[in-house]
Parts: sequence; structure tokens; C-alpha cells
Amino acid sequence: MIKVENVYKRYKEDQYALVDCSLEIDRGEFVFVVGASGSGKSTLLRVLLREERPDTGQVWVAGKELSSMPGWKVPFFRRNIGAIFQDFRLLPNKTVFGNVAFALEVIGKSKRHIMNHVPQMLELVGLHDKQDRFPDELSGGEQQRVAIARAFINRPLILLADEPTGNLDPENSWSVMGLLERINRTGTTVLMATHDVGIVDSMRRRVIELDHGQIKRDQTRGVYGLGQQTS
Amino acid sequence: MAISLEYVVKETSGNLWRNRLMSLAAVLTISVSLALAGAALLLKQGVSTATSQWKGGVQLLIFMQPNATAAQTNAVSSQLKSLPEIKSYFYMDQSKSYQEFKQLMANSPELVKSVTESQIPPSFRVVLKNPNDAPSVGSLFQQQVGVKDVNFNRGAINTMLHVTSIVQFVIVALAVVLLISASVLILNVIRVAIFSRRREVAVMKLVGATNWFIRIPFMLEGLVQGLVGAIVAAAAVVGIQSLFHYVVSHFQVTVLSNFLVSSHDVVMTELFVVAMGIIVGTAGSAFAVRRYLEV
Repeated sequence: MIKVENVYKRYKEDQYALVDCSLEIDRGEFVFVVGASGSGKSTLLRVLLREERPDTGQVWVAGKELSSMPGWKVPFFRRNIGAIFQDFRLLPNKTVFGNVAFALEVIGKSKRHIMNHVPQMLELVGLHDKQDRFPDELSGGEQQRVAIARAFINRPLILLADEPTGNLDPENSWSVMGLLERINRTGTTVLMATHDVGIVDSMRRRVIELDHGQIKRDQTRGVYGLGQQTS
Repeated sequence: MAISLEYVVKETSGNLWRNRLMSLAAVLTISVSLALAGAALLLKQGVSTATSQWKGGVQLLIFMQPNATAAQTNAVSSQLKSLPEIKSYFYMDQSKSYQEFKQLMANSPELVKSVTESQIPPSFRVVLKNPNDAPSVGSLFQQQVGVKDVNFNRGAINTMLHVTSIVQFVIVALAVVLLISASVLILNVIRVAIFSRRREVAVMKLVGATNWFIRIPFMLEGLVQGLVGAIVAAAAVVGIQSLFHYVVSHFQVTVLSNFLVSSHDVVMTELFVVAMGIIVGTAGSAFAVRRYLEV
């Protein structure tokens, strides 16, 4: 589902964000990407979303090679990928319903399709009674659940999550993780960059650790650190 | 890729309303500059109407005696009609010639004062099929009764045409500068609209909106601004034109009457103004979208 081969990416001269990264993630896997700030986690996710092109190396996501993909194909590629972020990235002037519906509107879905699918999705994330609220009327956890609803409404093959619990208290973090797990159980590949030791350690999923842009560890059923790490 | 009309209309009107002050500024700038450009074009038309008696390549002037009889004039006219070398000709009577004289001599009022209309010779303005025939055709009329003089020296005519072409060039250049400033203003308005909606655009890209889907509402915004500005400008041009008409007819300013333009010219100018509004609006926003949207 995801295959990264010898990818290098640098932003400035001798400041590498990714160094010779290679990894492979199968369909339906749930993978944590861990590492200190600046270790290249976000860059990796940006490369997988084709927000950045690798300097060298190749990247396959959902059957498409990204480093050679022409710009006009990118929007169509992204429709297969869901993405959520630490800062939620909701539109403040749209309601909960509007935010989720937006993902369908921009890819030209019919009004009927939207009216059918959005309430269903909001039900899934437990926000059907708040569909007319605006993002600033919701708690952080609720906002992130709206973002998840938006990311998942197209039933993407892959869900990329960049520190989705970074701004949330433990209780909300767990409700978000619960949702990501449910999404993963539908067969969607989930790749989540995180700092949250508690979550990684208790979920016992595959862990990929990045350090200064290099893959330092790739462990099935891993924990955040190998004992020596604190966070 | 399906872009629903409803979505585009909703987004465009939403954009315009959200940035209504900036939109208003853009519309006003476009209308002012297009109104000036339109008025300049009408003035250009007026100048070319006023000098049209020199247009069409008049190569031969046959001046009649100021006191020539109608029979003498008709004789020249019918002879001109019968000559195969002649392409076309027209007759400038005394009052028209006097007005032309006043215009040509506008810088020497004492000369104008010293000459009365009855002293001015009427003339035939002749266009030949072949300009080289001018001396031979002219000599046919030289000795005719009632003819004062035949002139095929084009020097004076050329000078006047040259001066008016410079004036027209300046007017057109001014209009072009104004239109460029209008495009820059539209570009800026769209830029502000794009910057104020960066978040939304980022989300659109994230969920897989195509570039055109993101661009079209912004471009339509520029188009609407250009169109509204152009309609206001077109109304202003009609206003200026009818004010001019009113002044000429009400105060009997006969010198200016040569500058009156036909309704055909007005319609063409209006069409030009509206077309320019659309082009300027769309081009400005298209450039802004390419430059600032990074899609």
C-alpha cells in the first residue's frame, strides 16, 4: 500500500529531513511513526501526501508513484488519501456538517450523495447532534473527530495522521484513537506520527522510529522508546 | 470533473460579499479608468470625424471663386463626375469651409476676425484613382470659369493629419495606461481574496479539489468586477456623450459640432468598454490566481 525506496529530502544545503528512507507498509496495517521533533516525521507524511517531492528515491502510495506524478494528477491521487493534523484544519466559517460535506463538494459529489453520507459519517464519529455547530463551539476532541469524519468520508485507502492527539487531553486522545482503530478495522491503512508515549505503548502496533531523518528502528508490536527514551 | 453551477455561484458571490469594500474599490477603479478610456476613444473618433474631410486621400483641391454662380459650380461638378481618372469627390460649401478655416487658424484669431465667410472660397475635394494624375486633371480646370485656383500640393494637408495623429496616439496611450492600472488593481483584489482564504484553499487541496475547481470562483470574481465596472463606465460614457451633445446644440457651439460622433461610434465604444472590462477582470484575476494560489 505504501512503499518508500531510498528517499532523500533536504530543505537547505546540508540540512536533511529524510536520509535514505526505505519502508514498506501493507494494506490494513496500523503504523506509528515516532521520533523527536525535527526527526523527519512530518516530512515523511508530507511526501506521502505529495505535498513535497523527494529529492531522490521513489515513493509508491496506493499504487501510484509520486515522485514522477504530474501536478494535475495530484488532486485525484489525494482523493484516495485521508489526512488529519494536530491543528485540525477545519474551516471556521462552516458548520460541522459543512466541513464534512466540503470534502464531497470539492470532488463534485451530488447534493443527494452529500445528504446521505454526511449524517452517516457524523453518526460514526458521534457528532450527529452537533452538526449545526461551528468549530469554535466544539472541544478540541470534537474538532478532531470532525476532521476524521472529513478525512474518512471518501473511504480512503490510507489515513495519514500527523500528531492527531498533540493538542488533546488524554480522554479526548483516547476517543480519537478509538476512532482510528475502528477506521483501521474497515481495512484502511493508518499511518500516525506521534509523540504520545502512552498511546504507542498501550496499543502495541508496528512502530517506525525516525532519528535525524533516518529510520532507526522498525518494529512490529513495538513501544515508543526502547526504555532509554523519555518524552 | 464536475463543477456544479450552484457551487460556483455560491462561492463567487460569497467571496464578493466578504471582500465587499475591496470589490467596490476594484469596480470603481475599473469604471473610472474604462470611462476615461471610453471618453478618450470618443474624443479620438471626434477628432477623426473633424478631420475626415482630409481623410480618404484627398489629392486635388479645386477652389471656386467665392462669388461663383451655381451654374459654374454645377459645371465643374458634372465634369468631375464624367472623368474616368476620378475615384470620388465632394463639395465643401462656404460655411463648412469657413469653419474649417477657423479651426485651422485657431491660433491666429486676428486673422480669423479679418476674414468673413463670404470671402472664403468653396472647394471640391477630389480623390484620384492614381495620385500621379493630379497635375494633368488639375490643368483641365485651371482655366475654367468660376475656378479660382487648383491645388495639388499636399504639404499643408499632411501637416494637419500628422498633428491629429499625434493627438490620437496620446489619447490611446493614456487609455492603455489606465487599463493597465485597472488590471493591477483587480490583481490586488483577487490577491487579498486569496490570502484571506488560504486556509480554505489548503483544505481544498487536501481533500483533492482540482486546480480549476479552486481557481474558477476567484476568476469569476474578477470577471464580475470587470463586468460591473464596465457597465458603470458604459453608462458614464453615454452620459458624457449626451452632455456634449446638449452643450453643442443648446449653446450653438458650432466649432465643436465637427467633433460630434455618430451613434454607431458610440455603440462601438460601449462594446469596446464592456469587452475591455471583461478582459481586464479575467486577465487580472487569472494572473493573480497563477501567481498567488500556487495550484
